[in-house]
Amino acid sequence: MALAAAGAAFSWWEGGLHQYSTAAHWSIAVVIALVLSSAVAFGWGRQAATAGAWVRGPLPVRRHLAERRYATVGVLVWIVLVLAVVGWDLNSFVHQSHNLPTLSSIVGHVTSSRAGRAATVAVWLALGAALSVGWRRRR
Amino acid sequence: MTPGGYVWIGIGAALAIWIVASALRRDIPGPIAVVRWFAQSWLGRTLALCAWAGAGWHLFCQRP
Repeated sequence: MALAAAGAAFSWWEGGLHQYSTAAHWSIAVVIALVLSSAVAFGWGRQAATAGAWVRGPLPVRRHLAERRYATVGVLVWIVLVLAVVGWDLNSFVHQSHNLPTLSSIVGHVTSSRAGRAATVAVWLALGAALSVGWRRRR
Repeated sequence: MTPGGYVWIGIGAALAIWIVASALRRDIPGPIAVVRWFAQSWLGRTLALCAWAGAGWHLFCQRP
């Protein structure tokens, strides 16, 4: 509860900063360092799978299709959607045209206000916390 | 609205439809399941954290 309140307070404070300010650079850099170091500190020896098993896991697509058809098709749709986002963003970035806005320029409209920037920071913090300490194997 | 903006709306709508579909059907993995899959191993977690850190720096320290 205290961590959530601290995260909300930080988000609101950070929402009032300009992206080119020294305070914004230092605060985001410190958050990134804290999240990465806590991922190592809390996660040592607590991963669910090895890197090799994780890479090989999705490869037998036919077996997955036979055993869990809807889940496998669902994953394939996710892959297509993520590739669409990445591909269209790259295409827009390469062309540098006002007719082709990049994803970050669209997000920039949201983060141009204090409330929008604070909300985006809060979502980013929550995702970082989940990736850092979430879904660990019990010791 | 620019032509590229219409494409983003289409991609956003497809994402929204798929997120709703995953919420309605238990056997379709949702966005949390996708993040959880990356968190299964150190390699996936590191890749996701690098993307997270890069996105944060870009959005909050570089782009308007």
